[in-house]
Amino acid sequence: MIKYIIKRFLMMLLTLWIITTLTFILMMSIPGSPFNDVSDKTSNEAVQANLESHFNLDKPMIVQYYYYLESIVTLDFGPSIKKPNDTVNDLLGRGFPISFELGIISIIVAIISGIILGVFAALKHNGIIDYLAMSIAVLGISIPNFVLATFLIQQLAVNLELLPVATWKSPSHMILPTIALATGPMAIIARLTRSSMLEVLTQDYIKMARAKGLAPYKIIIKHALKNALMPVVTILGTLLAGILTGTFVIEKIFAIPGMGQYFVESISQRDYPVIMGTTVFYSAFLIIMLFLVDIAYGVLDPRIKLHKEKGD
Amino acid sequence: MKKKWLLCLLTITLALFLVACTTTSSDDDENTTTDDEQTSENEGNESEEEESDSQDDGKKVLYLNNGEEPTSFDPPIGFDSVSWNALNNLLEGLTRLDSSHTPQPAIAEDWEISDDGTVYTFYIREDANWSNGDPVTAQDFVFAWKRLLNPETASSAAFLGYFIKGGEAYNTGEGSADDVMVEAVDDKTFKVTLEAPTGFFLNLITNPAFFPINHQVAQENPEWHSEADSFVANGPFQLKEWNHDNNMVFEKNPEYWDADTVKLDEVHWAMVNDTNTEYQMYESGDLDSSGIPSDLAEQLLEGDDVVYEDQAGTYFYRFNVTEEPFQNEKIRKAFAMAINQEEIVNYITKNLEKPAYGFVSYGFQDANGQDFREQNGDFLTFDPEQAKQLLEEGMAEEGYDELPEITLSYNTSDAHKSIAEYMQQQYIDVLGIEVTLENTEWNVFLQDQKDLNHQFSRSSFLADYADPVNFLESFITDSSMNRTGWSNEEYDQLIANAKNETDPEQRFEYLYEAEKILFDEMPLFPIHFYNQIVLQNPDVTGVVRHPVGYLELKWADKN
Repeated sequence: MIKYIIKRFLMMLLTLWIITTLTFILMMSIPGSPFNDVSDKTSNEAVQANLESHFNLDKPMIVQYYYYLESIVTLDFGPSIKKPNDTVNDLLGRGFPISFELGIISIIVAIISGIILGVFAALKHNGIIDYLAMSIAVLGISIPNFVLATFLIQQLAVNLELLPVATWKSPSHMILPTIALATGPMAIIARLTRSSMLEVLTQDYIKMARAKGLAPYKIIIKHALKNALMPVVTILGTLLAGILTGTFVIEKIFAIPGMGQYFVESISQRDYPVIMGTTVFYSAFLIIMLFLVDIAYGVLDPRIKLHKEKGD
Repeated sequence: MKKKWLLCLLTITLALFLVACTTTSSDDDENTTTDDEQTSENEGNESEEEESDSQDDGKKVLYLNNGEEPTSFDPPIGFDSVSWNALNNLLEGLTRLDSSHTPQPAIAEDWEISDDGTVYTFYIREDANWSNGDPVTAQDFVFAWKRLLNPETASSAAFLGYFIKGGEAYNTGEGSADDVMVEAVDDKTFKVTLEAPTGFFLNLITNPAFFPINHQVAQENPEWHSEADSFVANGPFQLKEWNHDNNMVFEKNPEYWDADTVKLDEVHWAMVNDTNTEYQMYESGDLDSSGIPSDLAEQLLEGDDVVYEDQAGTYFYRFNVTEEPFQNEKIRKAFAMAINQEEIVNYITKNLEKPAYGFVSYGFQDANGQDFREQNGDFLTFDPEQAKQLLEEGMAEEGYDELPEITLSYNTSDAHKSIAEYMQQQYIDVLGIEVTLENTEWNVFLQDQKDLNHQFSRSSFLADYADPVNFLESFITDSSMNRTGWSNEEYDQLIANAKNETDPEQRFEYLYEAEKILFDEMPLFPIHFYNQIVLQNPDVTGVVRHPVGYLELKWADKN
């Protein structure tokens, strides 16, 4: 096991290095500069030169690559070019907890409601509940979350005045973004759960359990669901990484100060240190999530071996 | 193993249950407050006590949206509206613009100007203090202005200080800080010598780049401007709270010399970066002011809560005179005359802009108090017949049987796209020419425009200081704002003359002449002037917006 983890860890570092190097090349090859002002105001060459030397952008590419690698190794990405008061670490340190909080609640809501919908749909296969659950799922997948978000704000906040429109202050401010964020993943989880439940329910061991006279809920939870969850776990890694590190659209619509904005804005603003910071952070997060998913496979299904030692 | 699984499920259920509990309870809170009074929801601070307090006190609180986190409250660094609109109300320079956009005494109560117009001596108010009780001194201005010009500060606004003698040399690394001619004669007397008489200097220094900095605080803590606790203000408001990326609270500054004029107790700034959300918050009473979402513009512009102000800036198209076929003046003119500006503002943008037939926008008065734009007249008319004729003449001059392919470029945006599509149609209808549209992301677009890679491209200009020369200096040879490849010695000379002229009347003559040359050769043609339109709660009065300048809340009131 330890050998496996060390091997995986080294692989993770290699992957990270490849991702970051590719990002650096791509980032430097897009035209434009961080000092092209958004509002098209007066720009002055002497002023530009001062800015460039201030942020080391006048150095040769290879030197900049060195600084870049150094910043990754030391985990200190330096100040943001566009927000000179803040270092990249400040931005991530401020935004990530908020994105994480919203993300973890949304994912819990999505998993639970998705599994419940999926299980009931499978049990009442081709019944009213099945159709109803799958209609919800289809809607959830096909309605983009920004449409849903705007709709929810207009109905629940502006017209009915039940909930606040936006911003990030109290728990009641979290309800609408949670719903908007959870609906998509919930729909995906519901569909996956349903189809794998349907498959599992026809297996011999379920028939066996029924024949033994076990209580229905025991059969479903203990025997069927556990095995039906494998596909859900598979997608959970990417889903978690995506949602926990913040989503640009939802955070923008609800004015949530998470880190989602930095992924998109840093690129359009050519804010190089922030691009590096977010990319490294996201890739590392994703790789770790995928690793955890692999471990979870082994826990859920002992047939899956993490390491080949015994087979060798 | 089985037990572990159950335990896990149990934990998740419990967690969900807890979440459900907290949300419903807070939901109840929200309902009770909305019953009390709709606006109480806005205060929405974590502490409920504070909320009820502020209601009891009958505080006047204005709710605004800043769009996003200010870039920086360090005056020379935050060179953008998200920083300076707010900062303009925390700090105050020697002068401040009033509601008719003219500079009035602010931290300086009086000043003297030398006969040749190059030496300004400012007398700072005895009662001008910082929010920590320190007096505002001439040294604070010396410190701040030299810092603006220091190349190590790397301020994008540094060029504004080039009017000061020695300023440009210091900023470009050729001079030293000691050569910058700003001087503290004594604690309350500040003297500055300019390169040339600059008629609009009193207006220029209302710009936040020229705000003073409490030099004692700044020397002790260079990061004084980045947190509410350490921020020292000398303007109408002080910074009470600043939750980065989330919200800011300004409160009335009791140390401000003119505190009696300030009527608002607090200003709460949200940071909502989505026009629809902003509008929905305005609708539900969470904000007192909002921009207008473009798809609702037609309907909303008829309401009585619309507030309108010009903005000194021009939406225009640049020709690249180094690329065929636009090296030919007549062809350029044909393309300009085939466009109907009036139609664009009435049916395409529909935002009440004024169509533009010159480059300098309305609102600048010349030496005789006449409006620059009205005085210099229109340089363009929509004239399909003449456009066709000019095109033919131009093609004959260049020996074209057929025009080379033309690509019209704009940066990706729906608004720019609809104007570009209108123009494309207009060129087919009027000139019988098919132009290709091309759009790229803003940063790529701008780089291409600077490198003269476009033939014909969308452009915009927003004035940085309130004088026509700011518009016209863009097109001197090799200016980084020129981006047309166009160069005219006479034009360069006229701009240089205007910058050095003492006699205001003569100065405007040069500028009038320069704008005429620009349109004689037409390396660009204008579409419309910009404006600022916002929705504003009818209970709010006294919020001042300037064509060139930043938001003023000093006189704002809310009933």
